[in-house]
Amino acid sequence: MYGRKACQLVKELASGEKGQLTPYNSDLFDQVIAECSQHHLELQSLIRKMQEEGLDVQTTRNADHYGALIHHLSLVRNKRCLMAYMYNRAEIIRSLIWKVGPVLPQQIQEKLSHTEEEYFKKHSGALQSYMSRLDLDLTVDMVPPKDPYIQVRVLDDIGVVLSDDKTTNFACHSMHFLKRTDAEQFISRGLMEELTG
Amino acid sequence: MASEAGEGSTAGMDDYETLISTTDVELLKKAWRNEKAAPEILRFETSLIQRIRGQIQLMEENIEEFAGSGIDPLTVSLYQMDLDRTQYLFRSYLRIRLQKIEKYMFHISKNPEVQSRLSEQEKGFARRCADDMERHLEESVLSKLPDNYQDIVKQSIISEESDMIPEPQLDSFVVCKSRRFLGPFQLDGSDELLEMKPDELCIIHYKSIRERVQEGDIDLV
Repeated sequence: MYGRKACQLVKELASGEKGQLTPYNSDLFDQVIAECSQHHLELQSLIRKMQEEGLDVQTTRNADHYGALIHHLSLVRNKRCLMAYMYNRAEIIRSLIWKVGPVLPQQIQEKLSHTEEEYFKKHSGALQSYMSRLDLDLTVDMVPPKDPYIQVRVLDDIGVVLSDDKTTNFACHSMHFLKRTDAEQFISRGLMEELTG
Repeated sequence: MASEAGEGSTAGMDDYETLISTTDVELLKKAWRNEKAAPEILRFETSLIQRIRGQIQLMEENIEEFAGSGIDPLTVSLYQMDLDRTQYLFRSYLRIRLQKIEKYMFHISKNPEVQSRLSEQEKGFARRCADDMERHLEESVLSKLPDNYQDIVKQSIISEESDMIPEPQLDSFVVCKSRRFLGPFQLDGSDELLEMKPDELCIIHYKSIRERVQEGDIDLV
């Protein structure tokens, strides 16, 4: 049935967890594209047929006209589904820049198509250039501050870090009482976790 | 901020209230709340943001000086907390705007009136945003479709107008509050008249009060 594959593609998007990427389904995507070309071929052949019969394509309302119309509408619908698939994935990709920063971990990168990877790089470049023009880092202070200091546990061997004229050794599993602004960069990279309660 | 609040508390309660509600931080809070609740992007608060940046810098310098001159660490950390909150508001305000730009980039790039609400840097960002997205969709979808179906904002060549641009939903509902008494005014799309008393909460179509939010008569919550 026409349009079913495109619908599957969009369903895949809708059934995925919110804010999480599903792997790029290039097979299904290409099949929908092929379906589009098929629709276009049939559309053209129907129109050609009408022209050969000497009918006015604009005004005639016969079986061929409605056949062509169905192909046209199916094509438009497929296009909308394809665009929605790409557009919504791009939206998630943009939100990832805020969540994980300008470098994507391997597991996420595998889910992207080639052009999506390019897009991720370009868009995070655009964001970077905005922030550098303002001379301001917008990726910190993501949650409303409660206390200027927080307690954190180190999850990975970070090593010795210099901050505020002091050097601290962030060994794995050690716990520290840090300025929130200093700790945030490590937390967002998954190297520390905040201890609450 | 802290010092201004301190001066205010010596005056009468009313004076204190008005003083508090006109400090830049309070204005920023208002702008931030409006921006957060409004479905469309609002006018950029150019001069307010400039003043806030100046104040943040001043506070940073003050705190550094306090920390160096042996003032009670508790006092210093209170100032620090105040600064952190302001910083959060400030960054969050800019972030919300960026996210709106990302969401409605095509709507913005086709609409000079909306563009005029952005700051210079935001305009640059919006332009790059739309260009990158366009290229991405071009490469991954449009170039593979038949000739007459390749336009990015039209479904096909026979569409009369651009029918594929995501736009902000201006008829969504917002919760809002008036600053002063607002005489009866007409709601969009109905004959009903509405009066608003100060501090009375209303839930209302955004587009009916759009201009009043821009003028600052009504605050979104």
